[in-house]
Amino acid sequence: MDNTGPLLETLTRRLLETPPEFLAEPRLLLGTTAGAGSLAVAALVNDVLLRHGARAPAAFLRRLQGDGAAGERGERNRLSLVAIAAWLLADDWFAGAGVAQEAVCRMLIEAPAELAQATAARKFVDDADRREELARVVLYRLGYRPQGETPAQASDRLSAISGVERRRLLEASRAAEKRAREIREALAAKAAQESADKWTRE
Amino acid sequence: MSGSAGVHDAGPDLARFPTLSADGARLLDFMREHPAAPLYRNHSGNKLLASEVAYLRRFEAEVLAAPVGWQDGGHPAWLAGLVDSVFRDVSYYRALGGRPAAFEDIAPVRRADLAADIAAFVPDHVDIARMIAFNTSGTTGHPMLVPSHPLVAGSYLAFHKRALARFGVVPSFGAGQVGVMLLGCQQRCFTYVSVTPTMGESGLAKINLHPDDWRDAADRARYLDAMAPEILAGDPVSFAELLTLPVTLRPRALISVSMMLLPGLRQRLEHRFGCPVLDIYSLNEVGPVGVFEAALGGHVLLQPQLYVEILDRDGCPVAAGQRGEIAVSGGFNFCLPLLRYRTGDHASLRLTADGPVLAGLSGRQPLRFLGRAGWLNNVDLTHALKHLPLSQFAVHQRADGFVILRLAADGARHADAARSALAALFDGGRIIIEELNVKDKALQYSSDLPGAAA
Repeated sequence: MDNTGPLLETLTRRLLETPPEFLAEPRLLLGTTAGAGSLAVAALVNDVLLRHGARAPAAFLRRLQGDGAAGERGERNRLSLVAIAAWLLADDWFAGAGVAQEAVCRMLIEAPAELAQATAARKFVDDADRREELARVVLYRLGYRPQGETPAQASDRLSAISGVERRRLLEASRAAEKRAREIREALAAKAAQESADKWTRE
Repeated sequence: MSGSAGVHDAGPDLARFPTLSADGARLLDFMREHPAAPLYRNHSGNKLLASEVAYLRRFEAEVLAAPVGWQDGGHPAWLAGLVDSVFRDVSYYRALGGRPAAFEDIAPVRRADLAADIAAFVPDHVDIARMIAFNTSGTTGHPMLVPSHPLVAGSYLAFHKRALARFGVVPSFGAGQVGVMLLGCQQRCFTYVSVTPTMGESGLAKINLHPDDWRDAADRARYLDAMAPEILAGDPVSFAELLTLPVTLRPRALISVSMMLLPGLRQRLEHRFGCPVLDIYSLNEVGPVGVFEAALGGHVLLQPQLYVEILDRDGCPVAAGQRGEIAVSGGFNFCLPLLRYRTGDHASLRLTADGPVLAGLSGRQPLRFLGRAGWLNNVDLTHALKHLPLSQFAVHQRADGFVILRLAADGARHADAARSALAALFDGGRIIIEELNVKDKALQYSSDLPGAAA
């Protein structure tokens, strides 16, 4: 966070205006929808890096082909978020800032993988708090802070907005696990008891 | 009788029959205590609250009146709303990270996905306390508990009435009459008596034609004739058994579900009983899907809010009229709203003036196996093995009578227990265990023995 970046609002506004083509279905190499999506995320990221005057290493692009360890559903969400982050990076400010290619590649691999584990990619476009979180995370991972904030302020704000979300997600996850457990127990108990009438039985 | 509204003070029956009247209770007693009655082994009931009975009457009227279908190349108007609600309210879909813009980009799900964690497919708003469960063994070797609700079970009647109406049959039974009897023919079968509140509390009985369930095998015909149900429901195995009984009853229709009804058996049934024989394609996961109509060359769809696609192996829609796997979206089971659920069954789809028609439906082949004591229904084999945690298995009977049990690799450690379970039905020395190495849907039951097809 040593360097001053753009105004936070320019980035959150850009996220809000993410074009539909960046939100299209990512093409995956695995799963039941393999090859069906229209958005080739690796090619998209390659274009953005070219705009930055950099060439994307082949090994890096291979990690954006949708055959990673997160499985079909996880990969779909991760790559969708990579595409949104790529749209953010295509902003003129990043293109002119001369950010190191290695840092950009590392950020595109690490940040979406972490954020997409618990949050739908689309929320980083539709939800104001998530837009701010993504903008702050991208700046932080690239060594920048929003214009007009001290390093301490930027760090506090990033911790706060991420912490609130992590707590919310943790509580939601616990509630979801509890309900799933209750459903499984109820189904097992009711299957062992008796059913209700159907006019025919399959 | 209670002091108000004529509701029967039924004690333990109250949970099964919340609106039971004194007349309904008398009919239950009549069906249970008839001198020729079978040994009823279980209990069930409609479990419907008074408000739900009223809802079902409205639902039935809507289902009978609503058109079924969609424009060629398009989707039904209700589908987009369903997708929105499923991606909002169902945790499996929420975890996908937002709904795709195009319906065809939604990844299809298979029975194995549901079986892996069915709880993830139950919407947030479903009241667990009133949920019920239906056990299904399926043909793919993925046993599963299907979440349901008394309203869902009660809704079946609407779709059966829609199917019957296509054959000119309007059920008219009411108070004091037996409306429908469900026939099974298995060594073990869930049997009970009940009443249908939307039909004047007419009687419903599920009975097992296997002789072991009767004090005297001759009681089967006596009981059926005494109950004189207006409709008989069953599967090809139980209907084949019915043909061997000296019954004189004259039902207004027979409804066959669960398995493929071959034309020869249909014609024998029609000739014997002088009424239409409906072959309904029905799944535990979605209920009645379609009814076969020879004039339309296939099964015409029955549910106004069920969208059917035909998919290729990769999950993409096939060209119009091509054959592929049936995938369904929607349905009336609000405990399990489905999006692009691959049924494992195959057909082609034609849009007709009567609605969409599934042509050449296959995937539900009924089979009998020759055991030590005679022919066995394939469901009996499922029962024998169901206590074992087998992910997938297949049973084949060779022409020499040997039984081959094929187990998926993860089931190998249960081989001895499985052999013991089957030895209760077959000669233990004629059971062979092999490894099942089929990646996709296995034909679970097959046989080279003459007469195995019911």
